[in-house]
Amino acid sequence: MTLKEYFLHPFHRTTYERNCALNGVNFRVERGEFFGVIGPNGSGKTTLLKILAGILRPTSGTVAVNGRLSPFLELGVGFNPALNARDNVLINGTLLGLTPKQLERSFDKIIAFAELERFVDQKLKNYSAGMQVRLAYAVAIHVPFDILLLDEVLAVGDQSFQEKCFATFDGFRQERKTMVLVSHDLGSVERFCDRVLVLWDGRPAGIGPPDEMIDRYLTLEGIR
Amino acid sequence: MATVAPLLTRRLSRLQSLALQARYVRVIAKTEFKLKYADSALGYVWSLIKPLVYFAVLLAVFGSFFKLNTVFADYPIYLLIGIVMYTFFADAAGMTMLSFVVRASLLAKLAFPRVVIPLSATTVATLTFLINLSAVAGFIAWYRIVPNVGWLLLPILLLEFYVFTFGIALILATLFVRFRDVGQVWELVALLLFYVTPIIYPVSYLPADARPIALLNPLAQVIQDVRRVILHRAPEGTIVTAPDVLGQWGRVYPIAITLLVLGVAWLLYKREEPWLAERI
Repeated sequence: MTLKEYFLHPFHRTTYERNCALNGVNFRVERGEFFGVIGPNGSGKTTLLKILAGILRPTSGTVAVNGRLSPFLELGVGFNPALNARDNVLINGTLLGLTPKQLERSFDKIIAFAELERFVDQKLKNYSAGMQVRLAYAVAIHVPFDILLLDEVLAVGDQSFQEKCFATFDGFRQERKTMVLVSHDLGSVERFCDRVLVLWDGRPAGIGPPDEMIDRYLTLEGIR
Repeated sequence: MATVAPLLTRRLSRLQSLALQARYVRVIAKTEFKLKYADSALGYVWSLIKPLVYFAVLLAVFGSFFKLNTVFADYPIYLLIGIVMYTFFADAAGMTMLSFVVRASLLAKLAFPRVVIPLSATTVATLTFLINLSAVAGFIAWYRIVPNVGWLLLPILLLEFYVFTFGIALILATLFVRFRDVGQVWELVALLLFYVTPIIYPVSYLPADARPIALLNPLAQVIQDVRRVILHRAPEGTIVTAPDVLGQWGRVYPIAITLLVLGVAWLLYKREEPWLAERI
């Protein structure tokens, strides 16, 4: 908005359409539960995660989060292509809440998990998207958390990385960590999630067991 | 209406939360500073050259041609102090104004107290300022100015300067997210401030009734005080400070303005903070 619009049209402040990204969404996730969110593009999934993560504030309603939350909404928050992996892990780790001491202790484990020992001193712009995801995910899981938010970012990694991630999911389950997973990969949603929420155009189209909800989603999409 | 607290700090005590924010500022400022000078060979030196060239030109024009050098012997130092300090103010305000927008991706992906971003921007400006101070120190030594007890006041004065700068910068940063033409407005205001503040000229060049108003400006008050402290050997009356024109407690007014600016900045920021990620 420009100052001109603000002052000349005091009664018609907004010249854009009112768009409700989410409407009437109501759910509860228990500790240790793996909760999936599926829906077409633009249905509000990312907005939902951003609200859970505290990035966006809902215009009405309440959000209650009990526990330490690690958001993984995008490839390496704070990653800078001009710097090398070492610096980027430092930046990303600090932003996710790690202290310098924790970073020092975990650094080698992070690089080892990402299998990027050879490339540690290379600038991130030389990394492929898959390598960047490996690095970002490696940092995220070394941050102590109770709740993990994942927003369809793992798809970029290769098969062996995907399997590695899924192995970490089993580890989380054993540790009774909670996870909210947004994904288009319906196979992994069915495999890992206890309950699934279907979002359609900002509204909830159902919450229930994964197979039922996937069915419902595909029916809505007209695929089934 | 939901209260959304930055969730990364939720399980942390007040002290731990502040420590986390300090680490944020440190890592963001360090990265920005690194990147600013990383690729350019001259980069580091450029932030030193800029005010020095400015100083050289203004000294030639106003010192020599306009004969301000005759007003008092230490006019070059007088001018240099003014320029270095004003450069910090203008650079800090300008960089911080853009800081939220430049860091939009961070705002969109992570929840944390947003004030960290303008704090990092002003920290980078402060680091540059400290580099410039080394040049000033060089000149001071060359002009054989000896420090005296009064110099202990300098940290306090510079703190007041920083607080005022940060207040203005935060207001600009918060408004800029919503109204992009604040950028244009600021360009004009910064220019005006440069001439309204006695940077190039001594206060005695202003008409008598304009002087109290000029020194209400916190920038003017601090710059004059810093000059008075460093140039303690200047003849009496050549460097006019706030108490000279605003009465014995004259400093209270610009200090009060500084705190007012900070207060307004904080209130404005707090009101806009939850919506910054959305509005960017």
